[in-house]
This record gives sequence, C-alpha cells and structure tokens, in this order.
Amino acid sequence: MASKVKKQDYEALRELFRPHIDSFNYFIDEGLEKALLSIRPLEPMGMIRSSFRSRGVGYSDKAVVMRCVREDQSSVTVKLYYLQNGSARLGFWIRGREFLLPIGIVLKALIDTSDREIFVSLTCCYNDRYQKQRGAVGSQIIGERAQIILEEALIDTSDREIFVSLTCCYNDRYQKQRGAVGSQIIGERAQIILEEVRDLSLLTSSQCLKHIGEYFRPVMDGFENESHTTVAEAVLRDYVFVHLTSNHDKFNLLIYCRLKWLGFIKVKSILVVLIVSCFSFMLQKLYALVDQTVAPDNPDALQNQEILLPGHLITIYVKEKVQDWLNKSRRLLLDELAKKEKKLDFSIVYQVAKFLGRNAASVGRSIESMIKLGRLATSSGLDLPQREGMTIQAERLNFYRFLSHFRSVHRGASFTKMRITSVRKLLPESWGFLCPVHTPDGEPCGLLNHMTSTCRVSSFYDSEGKVKDFLKIRMSILTVLVGVGMTPLLPKLERAGPPEVLHVLLDGCVIGSIASSKVEKAVAHIRSLKLSSLSGIPDDLEVGYVPLSLGGTYPGLYLFTSPSRFIRPVRNISHSSDNCLNIELIGPFEQAFMEIRCADGGDGGRRESFPATHEEIHPTGILSVVANLTPWSDHNQSPRNMYQCQMAKQTMGFSAQALQFRADVKSYHLQTPQSPIVQTASYSKYCMDEYPTGTNAIVAVLAYTGYDMEDAMILNKSSVDRGLCRGHIYQTESIDLTKNRDSEDRVLEIFARSSDKTMKSSIDIDGLPYIGQVIHPNEPLYSTYNTLTSVTKPTLLKGSEPVIVDYVTVDGTTSKNYMQTVNIHTRRTRYPIIGDKFSSRHGQKGVCSQLWPDIDMPFSAVTGMRPDLIINPHAFPSRMTIGMLLESIAAKGGSLHGKFVDATPFQNSVSEKDEDGPSKSSSLVDELGPMLASCGFNHHGVEVLYSGVFGTELTCEIFIGPVYYQRLRHMVSDKFQVRSTGTVDQITRQPIGGRKRGGGIRFGEMERDSVLAHGAAYLLHDRLHSCSDYHIAEVCSFCGSVLTASVIQPQKRSVREIHGLPPARTPKSYTCHACKTSKGMETVAMPYVFKYLAAELAAMNIKMDLRLSNRAGC
Amino acid sequence: MDPQPEPVSYICGDCGAENTLRPGDVIQCRECGYRILYKKRTRRIVQYEAR
Repeated sequence: MASKVKKQDYEALRELFRPHIDSFNYFIDEGLEKALLSIRPLEPMGMIRSSFRSRGVGYSDKAVVMRCVREDQSSVTVKLYYLQNGSARLGFWIRGREFLLPIGIVLKALIDTSDREIFVSLTCCYNDRYQKQRGAVGSQIIGERAQIILEEALIDTSDREIFVSLTCCYNDRYQKQRGAVGSQIIGERAQIILEEVRDLSLLTSSQCLKHIGEYFRPVMDGFENESHTTVAEAVLRDYVFVHLTSNHDKFNLLIYCRLKWLGFIKVKSILVVLIVSCFSFMLQKLYALVDQTVAPDNPDALQNQEILLPGHLITIYVKEKVQDWLNKSRRLLLDELAKKEKKLDFSIVYQVAKFLGRNAASVGRSIESMIKLGRLATSSGLDLPQREGMTIQAERLNFYRFLSHFRSVHRGASFTKMRITSVRKLLPESWGFLCPVHTPDGEPCGLLNHMTSTCRVSSFYDSEGKVKDFLKIRMSILTVLVGVGMTPLLPKLERAGPPEVLHVLLDGCVIGSIASSKVEKAVAHIRSLKLSSLSGIPDDLEVGYVPLSLGGTYPGLYLFTSPSRFIRPVRNISHSSDNCLNIELIGPFEQAFMEIRCADGGDGGRRESFPATHEEIHPTGILSVVANLTPWSDHNQSPRNMYQCQMAKQTMGFSAQALQFRADVKSYHLQTPQSPIVQTASYSKYCMDEYPTGTNAIVAVLAYTGYDMEDAMILNKSSVDRGLCRGHIYQTESIDLTKNRDSEDRVLEIFARSSDKTMKSSIDIDGLPYIGQVIHPNEPLYSTYNTLTSVTKPTLLKGSEPVIVDYVTVDGTTSKNYMQTVNIHTRRTRYPIIGDKFSSRHGQKGVCSQLWPDIDMPFSAVTGMRPDLIINPHAFPSRMTIGMLLESIAAKGGSLHGKFVDATPFQNSVSEKDEDGPSKSSSLVDELGPMLASCGFNHHGVEVLYSGVFGTELTCEIFIGPVYYQRLRHMVSDKFQVRSTGTVDQITRQPIGGRKRGGGIRFGEMERDSVLAHGAAYLLHDRLHSCSDYHIAEVCSFCGSVLTASVIQPQKRSVREIHGLPPARTPKSYTCHACKTSKGMETVAMPYVFKYLAAELAAMNIKMDLRLSNRAGC
Repeated sequence: MDPQPEPVSYICGDCGAENTLRPGDVIQCRECGYRILYKKRTRRIVQYEAR
C-alpha cells in the first residue's frame, strides 16, 4: 500500500495524522510533573497544633504561620509562636534546623525606636470602647504582652524594678477587669521573663543586631569575615519575610519617596517599616487567636492554599542547584588561590572558567534526574512538604486519562499515610475549583483531586500571553487604593486596628489601613476596575475582603496578585448587564466572603440584606472535564459518577491520532470507535470526537440466559465479528545495538540474517522481521551478526502470544553508517472474548460472560433487531443510574431522527432568559418519549421481544436501546494465569509467584481457612502439600534430626540382574551422621520448608527434635 | 550471513521516497536527507486468523 502512495499524497496524509488539539507543554520522553498543593503563602494563618508545645518549655499550641514567597516562587516559612507567659518567639528554618528568636529582639534590631512606640503599635488594636463589640480582635491583656516583649530585650537598672513596674502597671490599669487572681499570674510571668532576659543585656538596635549576628554566624555561609551586624542583616534579609525583601526594592522605594515627602526621614529604610508592620500584624493576629477573638484558619481548606506548579518547582530547583554549583566553584577557586606554587590569574578568563566548568554539568543532570525520578535532592528542602514522587508518567491510554494528568492536583504524599480523614474531606471552600466527583476512591481519595473545567491557575502571564509586570500592577493598585480612601503606611508605628480601620495587605505586605466604613465601597470599585482591561488592575486580582466578625477570620482587606493561585470565572451581576464584559475571575480566598448565586434564577435562600453580587456561569462549571462528559450525570447516584470518572480513564479508545508515527512503548487502540449519540455540551467543546472511546451498542435489559448474573453481560457474537469493541495493543521495541556493546571491546554488531532455513521464514534479509508477518512466541524477532566472532544470533520473541509486525523503522540519527537503532512496532489482537471488561458511561461495569450466537439472541417483534449486548435488570435498582436509562431512550430517539441528543447535566437549573415561565415539560422523559412515539415506538423505550431459541414472545416488554459502551483496558488475555507444574523456588521448593514467570496463584491463609471449614482435608492436603513442596525426608528416630541423614554408597551391586530387564536401582540407604548408624532411619513425608526451617534453626544453634511414632494422634 | 546481501527497500519517514539500502549504507533518505526510514510491507503471503 504505502509504496503506491505518491510523495504529495504522503505529505497530505501526514498532515491528516497530525494531532489537532493536544498542544500541552510537557516533557516528551521523560514523564512529567504532577501539580501539588501546598499552603497558600503571603497570608498569616492562625494555627493550633499540639506539636508546637514541643518547641520548648513554655510554648503554647498556638502560632501564626506565614509562608513568604520570593518573586521566583522559592519560599521561606516563618512562624510566630505564642508563649504561655504572653510573649512570642519567631521561628524559621535554616538548613533543616529551626531557630527561635525572641520577638522583642527582632523588633528592636529592626527599628531604632522607642519602646513606647512598639508598645503602642502592638496595643493599637485594642480599645476599651469596642471590647464587647463584634470585630474587636484585641483584648485588655495585649498591653501586658507588649510590655513583656519589650522587657525581654531590655534590662534596666534592676530586676526588682522591672518586676515591680510590670506588676504595678497591671494593677493600676486593669484591676477592675481582671481581678486578684490575674495579678498573681502576671507576677509570675514577669519573674519568668526576668529570668530569661538576665543573660541578655540588649538596649539598642545595634546591640540586638549584634546578638542576632553572633547567634547565626555558624550557619551562614560566606560571612566569615563580616561583622556581626552584617550577618544579622543577612539573616533578616534572607529568612524573615522574604516576600518583602527580594526584588521589591523599587516598590519599597515608592512608598519611601512618599514618606520622605511627608517628612518622615528618621526611618532607616522603608523595608524595615514593612517588616515591622508585618510583624505587628502577625503579633496582633496571634494575640487575637490566643484570646479567641478570631478562629484558627483551616490549613486543609482550599481558601488557604495555593498550587505548586511544575514550572515553579523547576525554577526553584534550578535556583538551588545553581547556588550549589556556585558555592562549589567558589570553594575550588579559594583552594586554588590558597595554593602557593600555582598562580591563578583572575584576569585570564579561561583559567577561571576551567574551575567554573568543573561542576557545571551537574546542574543539568540533577534537573533531568528530578524529572525522571521525581526526587528532589536538596539540602534545604526548598520549603516543600515532600521530596519524592514529584513527577508522574503521563499515560496516553486515552485522551481522558492524558488530559486528567494535567488537571490533577495532589495534596502531598505525606497525607496518604495519615490516619486522619480531615484532609480528604470535601470542603465547601473548594466549590467551583476542585471537582467533587472526579477523585479516585480508595487510598488517594480526596487527596488526588482534579480541577474543574473552568478553573485555572494564575501565572506570570496575563490573559494576552504577556509577562506580567508585578511592580507596575502593585503600583497601580496602590494608587487606586489611595484614591478610594486608604491611609498609606506611616513610619510611625502608632496605628489604629480593627474595628475602626482595617489593614490592607497586598501580597502579604501591609501597605496601609482603610476605615471600615469605606471598605465595601472600595471593594466594589476595585472589582469594577478588574473587569475593564484598561485600568491597569489585573483581571485575576483577588480582593479578599474579610468583614468584621467576632470569632471569625481576622478582618482586613487582603489583595493578591501573585501567580499560582486558583482562579475561576463568575459573572458579576452588580456591575453591568453586558454579558461579555462582566466575567470576573475570582479566587478561593475571596469566594468565601462573596455572594454568588446559582444561575437557576432563584436566590439560593439568600437574605435580603445580602443580595447576590455574582452569579455562576453554568452549573457544570463545578465539574471536571471528565465528569462533564457523563451524560445526565445529575440523574445518577453520585458514587456512580465517581466510578465513571475512574473508568473513563481506563477505557480503550483512540489514544493518539498519528499512531503510525508514534513510538509509545505500549498503547491501546480501539479499531472501530463511534461518536456517542447522546453527548454533553463539553463533548464538542473539548473536541472529544477526535479521541472517541466507545461504541453505541444496542443494549437489552433482560435476564435471558442466566449468563448475565452478577454484572456479567452477554455479547452478540456476530456483533463482535462485525467489529464491535475490537481493539489492539501496540508495542514498540527499541533495539539499539550500540548500547549492548561493552565499552572496552567495541565490537560492531549489525543486523543480519544467517542462511539458516528456519530463520528465513520470519526474518528478512536485513535481519529485521517482515512487515505484516505473524510471529509466534520463541520465534526469532530479529537477528544480529557479531563482526568479531562472526556469529549470527537471533533474538526470540518473548511472551506467550503471537504478535503481528506492524511497522519497522530504521533510525539513522545515532550512527554514521550501519544500521544500529531499530524500532519494531508490534500489534497484539484484543478482540472481545469472555472475561473482558466493559462499562457504560454511568459507572455500570460488567464482564463479558458469553459470546452468544446471533441466531439465539432475542429479536424485536417490529424491527427484527437483535441486541449487541444483554445486561441484567438487577444492575439498576440498587445503583439508581437513571442517566443510563435516559441515555438509552434518548439515543434510540436520536438514532431514529438522525441527530445527536444533548445530555448536558443541570439543564433545567439554568434559567432561560427568553422564556418567562418554567419550561414546557417538567420531566425529561416527557421530552424524550414523544421522539420515540413519533416513529411508532413505545413511549418508554420498551419493545416486544421474541426468544431467539424458542421463537416465542417474551412475557414482558423489554427495555432496549443504544447505550454508549466503553471497553476497559482490563482484559483476560493480559491477566489470565494458569499453572499445573513448573518452576519452583530455589530455597523453599514451593511454586513461584508471578504471571510473567509462569508462577501460580497463592493459596493463602484465608483460602486455607475456608477449605478447613468445609472439612475438605484431602483437598487441603493436595493443595498445600502434594502440589506444593512435597518432600520425603529421612529422619533419624534416635536423635530425631531431619538434617543428619547422609547417603551410603553401596559397596557392591547386591541385586542380581534379571535377564531382559533393566538393572533395578538399589534403594538408597541412609545413615545418621550423628548417631553413626542407619538403624533408626525412617522416611517421613513433610513440606520441604519444614526441613529448611530445621536448617535455619540449626544455624542459630537450635536443635529441632522429631519424635517419631506410628500411633495416630500422638 | 548470506553471501551476497540483497538490497532492501525502505520508505522515508518524511517525504515518502523509496530508498534501497545495502548493509553498511548510511541510513538517510536520498531525496530529503531524513534519517528515519520505514521498512516496506512484505510481498509474501501472510495469513491471519480470520474469525
């Protein structure tokens, strides 16, 4: 065929085969990454964990955790622990070790300010007036705490004085509120603090810096010759609030200029102001958490999470590896400089380059191995929860599976082993972002999720594909915020807190505060600016406005522009009526505080005071791509839809368009797929017709032969012969002769055939198989000729079934001449046979139990049609897959009228704007029934059927119609396992396991128990002994040992030869090696492992003694 | 090994031109220089199980 195709035709043909819709960026032969969920950064989270107590004496279980992310997505987690005495400790990790610093020292080190200022800044959130009101997050003891923090870093004239002043201060101010018991506690607290602080005499900022510097000098690299202050600054820069420090300098400068203009020049740098304000925000949140005025944040909720994208993972990994390489090169250069005899001249480039190049290749290699193995080899841990299993292979079984790999989100490998189920729970926060249906059941349930079809992830690119300029974005947001009434950050730390004003945080950075009366207007304004592309506000900006509440989330206005957040589109109905302009992208954080109604026209039980501001675009937006393809999934019981999502991904189908030009190691292919008659809107939206996965089979629901019990199904043999569900497995074997060669001898091997007659039948003259040839197991597949030894060696086909050679490619890209690299593409037939697995699109799977002859199948009274497939009616009542029944009726009507039927779920939940009242029919059946009735069929899809065997009318009408059936990849031909005798284990002499090696199936303990319970002793003996490691051992009855028997060679042939008969073998005689006699030798049948056990015990110096007797039961 | 190896025809994976190669020849299309060649289907009678 191919030889007749002209060149131009060939070109055209190739164009046809080019895949249309899969243009993912993935690593073609290396496997690819899986997306991983991680904690959302840039937003302080209040957490209560008992493990925090183990940090040290006095630590409580409360902390505020913040994951700070640099511009390049590498991150550092900072924790602020609450101490039982009211103070706080700052904790961060450097090289796998957690360092804890008293917060007072850090604060004082950062800013050269009076203690009074810090005190006021920390206590500003508390105001007596608001004490009992909603939204008051501070409490009266905050003042003491601020004092405690200060006292830690500061030692004045005498301990006594501080003690008195602390306790006195308390008594003066709060006596009425707290009572006598409280004063005792505060006295004790003060004592504790005094003990703590006694060692440290830190009064000024520089002293504190020096202290930190001294503390961290050992762990910081490259600061050997620097002063303590420099080290301390480096620590604060690289490990504390990195999201403020890296690459934001220009932004900081902007705020700084504004401040300078306002006349505050006393600040060291604006960075310090940002850090300190961030600290005080975290401290206020921590104290609010301790006083239970705010609730702890749930780290399992999607609201507080973001996604780790493969690209970002690679970025931070490359960064780490380049750092390693530079450090190594630096060390090499320093060593070289230290040497005296050689002189390294830095002006000569190649000399320096020589050292730099020494380790350069390791960077690329480590990236490659990370992608291949999914393992991160890092010393710092990259602030990631796991180091292994970061990549998965993108299997191309069918397009659904392939696509799902790129839409999947894993919570992290550490959660799979956890016993608690709270992480797996489907939380309302993930509405619209993660599909509630598309998660596997079993071990990864709830941890491996899939993004919904509308969900996206924000990235460094905007909607027009340009790289975002975050600085520009932040500046325009800042100007907008100032415009709507935000008070920008002031260097003076005295500020008010909620409920009067709310903090405004932009990407985790406190940029100002806004009066709580103005907030709602400001939020609405920003949202309207999000919609217009000219405003400079990005369309994926997250405007998380947390309103004032008591015991809820810490109030504030949280803005996010960062990449790797989930975003999804909803319709903003408060803004404009124009449909195309009001699509707003929202994130999971803001979603919790937004009023979004469903598009069904109702208001979802919303109260008058909280009118809906947003509307869902379509209800199917909560489903993933695969879940969206289930027709009428809203009529099915929900677990069935989950099963369908699983099974859709294991279906044989069109895995790829250009199968002929691909070299997948293994690919499944369905020869005769069809488009489903009943399909959802997303079927055409995602071009699923390019990759069909099933066949429209005529399904009759009846108990016909008894072979359809327990989810078995009967296939029509003639339908199978006509090509129903016919499939193949394509496998590619790549042979590279250069790889077989040993590195030393370099013997050239070429493909060649010997003149041997037997080889000629299956191998062509070039040593490769004939195309189209059937090759049976243990026949030669190809043959090679060794030029040194002049030996032609055929390589035989492995496996147990014949293959057909599909095509052979000769690859000339690796070697100069001589054929060295060859791909042999083989094909295995997988026609439906008994035991193959099929499923409809409604989680109704079944196994083919019979290929029933066509003539014996029941036939329709009207049309004479015979079904392709018979399933049992018992499949429906308990499973309640009404969608499948609807599909059958609809497909019948659709095929009669020659059109495809739309089966998009939640169709009646979408309000139709042109119609006023409810749609004309309330039930779907009322729409589908007339389609059948108009063609003369029964309204309900049933037909009168005649028995194919007896020719008599069946007593009841049978439900029959086309249903799209998928053929699953689990096929008996790949799974059957049978053995009578065969290879045994070397040590135990028991049969080996494993299908590939021709092993048996284990007859385990539970099987043994059931046979025992039946009293089938002979069967038990047969299975576990005779067919396993039956052994006759020689046992010495004197010493009772199994191991001491040794063979005596008879000196003389004692048995006389009988004429005409072969000489009888003398029975082997044994003697006990220990007793030196053969008198007590007896033969005992036992499992061989028993003898092995005796030997193992003997090796441990334990003797096993057998007491032999002929009496039963003794 | 056969005494006189006959040339075998291959089809170029890019342009579809037919190339005849002997053992030791460079694996490259003479028309377009593409280096992956497909083996031609055999002219022999092949029998499959037709069922």
